[in-house]
Amino acid sequence: MLLWRGNIDMTSTTSAAKRIDDNNKNDRTNRAGIRGWLNPIIYGWERVSYWFQRLTGIFLLVYFIGHVYETSSLVSGPDAWAAMLELTQTIGGHLFLILVIGASTFHTINGIRLIFTQSGQGLGKPGRPDYPYDPTSVNNKQRSGLWIAFILAAVAMLYGANVLFSGE
Amino acid sequence: MTSSNFKNNSNKRTRWFTNITLLRESQITKIHYITGISALFVVAIHILMRLIMPFNMSLEFENVILNYKNIFYALLLESILVLIAIHGFNGLRVILLEIRQTLIWERAVNILVIVAMIGIIAYGTRTIIIANGFSVG
Repeated sequence: MLLWRGNIDMTSTTSAAKRIDDNNKNDRTNRAGIRGWLNPIIYGWERVSYWFQRLTGIFLLVYFIGHVYETSSLVSGPDAWAAMLELTQTIGGHLFLILVIGASTFHTINGIRLIFTQSGQGLGKPGRPDYPYDPTSVNNKQRSGLWIAFILAAVAMLYGANVLFSGE
Repeated sequence: MTSSNFKNNSNKRTRWFTNITLLRESQITKIHYITGISALFVVAIHILMRLIMPFNMSLEFENVILNYKNIFYALLLESILVLIAIHGFNGLRVILLEIRQTLIWERAVNILVIVAMIGIIAYGTRTIIIANGFSVG
């Protein structure tokens, strides 16, 4: 479908078609496209949650594969196990594990929120769309769930840092 | 949505490799949720096993092998392996299918995640079986 804005001179078919084409080109330049879809700022915290859920999911999948590979060194004996374990006994290794703790906590809590949301819980009652058209589904229940996920992830990271850096 | 559209959508199933239909997307989503919630409990036990003694001590070779030689713990590790592999690779599948929606891409992604899932489960199971039969000291 062709879309254009403004007045079009219909006396000349060629010039009208050209102006439609120019307007379409202009429209395309105004479209954010995939960059707009990726932008976490303009769509609010719900988009941040969307991205965090996916990023933490991919990060945890990579960690899971690495963890399975890491523990497979057990079958090669104590020396191989100790050599593999040394990788995580550094400051960098500890920081990586703290990130894993934070990511898994956020992914879990936000995942539970999403299960409730997708089963229709906490979405509010549907109503007539009135100005300023705030969707009832994006409400305080949803936002507080998101904040709980962030706060618990931070608490879990602090606890993990305490255990890893104190060695207890 | 018309009733015919609804009927068409309700009959729409994931076509994994060819025209054979195995599971509906709604069924896969339920499996995703069930594996996610189940993994939460088994991973919690797995982490608690690292915290019942000083963290560094719990990772010593002998302690870890003793964990693996406990048949219940070995079964717990196997369940973690299977649950997280299914949940993780299905999550990856969902993300990849959000990016692009062509039949070839869908089939390729489905094959990729199933092969990767089977591969990681087989590799992890091998470790559990060998470590379970390991002799210590």
